[in-house]
Amino acid sequence: MSVKRLFALTRAGIMESLQFRLGIFVTLFANLIYLVLVYFLWKAIYDSAGTDVVNGMTFTDTMIYLILATALFNFLEMFVVWDMSRSIQSGKIILDLLKPMNYRRYTFWSYSGSHVVQFLLTFIPTFIVVMIITHGAIHMGLNLILFILSTVLALIVNFSMEMIVATICLYTESTWGINIVKETIVLLLSGASIPLAFFPEAARKVVDYLPFRAVYDIPLTILLQKNGSTELSGLLPMLGLQVIWCLILYIAGTLFWNYSVRKITVNGG
Amino acid sequence: MENAIVMKNVCKDFKVLNRHEGLKGSIRDLFSRDYKTVSAVKDVSLEIAKGEIIGYLGPNGAGKSTTIKMMTGVLEPTSGEILVNGVVPYKERTKNSENIGVVFGQRSQLWWSLPLIESFKLLRDIYMVDKKDYEDMIELYRSLVDIEPILHKPVRQMSLGQRTLSDILAAFLHNPAIVFLDEPTIGLDVSMKDKIRSLIRGLNSEKNTTVILTTHDMGDVDALCKRIVIIDKGSKIYDNDIEHLKSYFGNYRTLKMRLSDDNWVEEVIDESKQDIMKIIMERQKEQKIKDLKLEEISTEEVIKKIYEGASK
Amino acid sequence: MSTNTVSRKRGLSFYARIYKKILIQDLKSKMSYRADFIISTIGMIMTNLSGFVTFLILFRNFPSINGWDYHHMLFLYGFSLVALTPVQCFFDNNWNLRFQVQSGDFIKYCFRPINVFFYFMSEVFDVKGLGQLAFGVGTLVYAWYHIGMEVTVLRICLLILFLITASLFMIAIMNFAAATCFWIVGSGYVMVIMFRFKDFAKYPASIFSGIFKVIFTFIIPIAFVAYYPSLAVLDPCEAPVLSWCAPLLGILFFWLSYKFWMLGVRKYDFTGS
Repeated sequence: MSVKRLFALTRAGIMESLQFRLGIFVTLFANLIYLVLVYFLWKAIYDSAGTDVVNGMTFTDTMIYLILATALFNFLEMFVVWDMSRSIQSGKIILDLLKPMNYRRYTFWSYSGSHVVQFLLTFIPTFIVVMIITHGAIHMGLNLILFILSTVLALIVNFSMEMIVATICLYTESTWGINIVKETIVLLLSGASIPLAFFPEAARKVVDYLPFRAVYDIPLTILLQKNGSTELSGLLPMLGLQVIWCLILYIAGTLFWNYSVRKITVNGG
Repeated sequence: MENAIVMKNVCKDFKVLNRHEGLKGSIRDLFSRDYKTVSAVKDVSLEIAKGEIIGYLGPNGAGKSTTIKMMTGVLEPTSGEILVNGVVPYKERTKNSENIGVVFGQRSQLWWSLPLIESFKLLRDIYMVDKKDYEDMIELYRSLVDIEPILHKPVRQMSLGQRTLSDILAAFLHNPAIVFLDEPTIGLDVSMKDKIRSLIRGLNSEKNTTVILTTHDMGDVDALCKRIVIIDKGSKIYDNDIEHLKSYFGNYRTLKMRLSDDNWVEEVIDESKQDIMKIIMERQKEQKIKDLKLEEISTEEVIKKIYEGASK
Repeated sequence: MSTNTVSRKRGLSFYARIYKKILIQDLKSKMSYRADFIISTIGMIMTNLSGFVTFLILFRNFPSINGWDYHHMLFLYGFSLVALTPVQCFFDNNWNLRFQVQSGDFIKYCFRPINVFFYFMSEVFDVKGLGQLAFGVGTLVYAWYHIGMEVTVLRICLLILFLITASLFMIAIMNFAAATCFWIVGSGYVMVIMFRFKDFAKYPASIFSGIFKVIFTFIIPIAFVAYYPSLAVLDPCEAPVLSWCAPLLGILFFWLSYKFWMLGVRKYDFTGS
């Protein structure tokens, strides 16, 4: 597979996303409103608490964490599960499998274009707004580069999880149910709905080793320079965890997918 | 004779964004206000009598669907007048839809997971069909096609042919004055096509229902329609009997000759310009003609000629 | 001419009868997909549990929010869950609207002599919403008991009236969000974000200030999805005027959203196919 062909898919994806021009502006606007909601809620929560720091998180930390988690969520969002279930129901899946390109790789690169657009149109503006309201609370240094690196790893982990869930759809028609279970678990255990720092100690110990943390919590912790991520000794375990989960999920996903596809082709759909 | 449908100088325009090519173009389009107006239907006038089966033809994108959407009240014409059963469809969509039945494309309008009979019962309630009329209609269906195997089957489990059949039956259930059929035989096998055609003919003659049929299959046209209307690029280009169609470009006939080398040669001849006897005689001077046939040109060929001629 | 040229009136009882029939048939066919039903129910329970866990974690770290203690917040939470049930049960087809509009399949709803909005919504009844209802009622009863409010007929009536009010607002929000797809291609995100906004309905709207208070009260009325209506139940004597206006505003909002939705149907040119 030549790199040129993969980038052609990215380019097509960018153009496709740009087609929906009003949709883009609406998305941008809706994100800003969401940001306002998070701001007010947590401001009230911290005001009621009476202290400035709760579990090592200040109001600014929490707000940045949650807003950027949402921005990351929008940026990482894929509809692989829905696409898959629709193409299974219409029978298009057979055509997809016959394409001269690995289906999973094809899906990944087709989505890359919309990732690029989402990054530029939702993540960057959100980031700028956050910088303005917090008067530059995010440190601008090496952590940004590490954050981007960590986000790419997060993207791969997220895609692998999506793909595994999508593969389950080959067995059952219950797309809605499977998707909501996945979304709920990921949102809760990745720190997207409430920072993992607020979890009880015992729960943290478990959550720390699960793959969900690799999607939102680790990139954001690195960006906010928490948990000793400024030191190599704090940073390496986090990035290491991401890499390990990337490998595990990728391999597990590939095996599961290949096994399932073989099963369909044998049973003839 | 009373008319089921009257259209007077109907036009329909759509506004579309001018899109530019390439990645740069896509970014430019994000802020562009460069719209162009596309006329889907241009000044079409039409009168359709009660009980007629009319073939409404035209190449892809000619404006057929747009016209039907206007007749069914889904779209408002940009200008012009439409009367369907004496009702302005767009203004009184609900009232209009009581008197029409629609089978649109390959999209089933039945409840996907319900057995056909349950869909029928729901439609009976929705259209407020009297119990007796409903039972008579089901009886009529039984006499025309074998509905038993599909009556208790959920629509989603049906084959394409059964689904089309069901959709047609559902469209006639409330005994509407007009039924619109948009490509009812697309994708069906030969025997199913035949079944569907005879069903349509049967329902039309029993109930005197006006049928507007759009299709790309000239077999449908030959089997069902006396009159056809052809539309291209939004304008009506033909509106007359199917017999008349054959002489649209002159009196075409196909002359087939088997020559001394046993091969058949074909020649399409316009009898208004060329003399057939003369052509045969010319040929005979060069080669011996073992056999010859003179065939009427098929509808398909005429339509093909019209489409090709119109898009020049 | 056939007998049905006379246009007959289709009133409320007509629609109720049709809805009941569709509902029964739909439930029958849903029973045949047992695996789907079970997985979806598990999904629904998980979402509710996860929402509840988030709530507990929050209160573990912060004992009160803007003067609202644990049990009052729990009341608000339960209230919002119950108020969100109707939109989940009866108007869930809004989620499919954009796909049907884009593919052109939506046109089939326009050929019947019944209300398009009704016809479209009647096609889906989401049973899973009932799980949420049970969850919400349970929370509400628990919170009510711990707050130590008196149980009177008046209070129960108020509760029912204001739950209906609150659900009208949520239905209206989702109608507006879904109907944007008639004008904007790729507007699916509006629905997603509006649905996420509802998570903020369970917090007291007093946290907002300035212009945003106005926005979240009158433009994106999430303050009405739980906060204002529940105030009228919790403390009828002290409840603000807006709480008492809520039922009328709810009807108005619902009506506007319906009109907007129907305008979308009329304006849409059905070119997608």
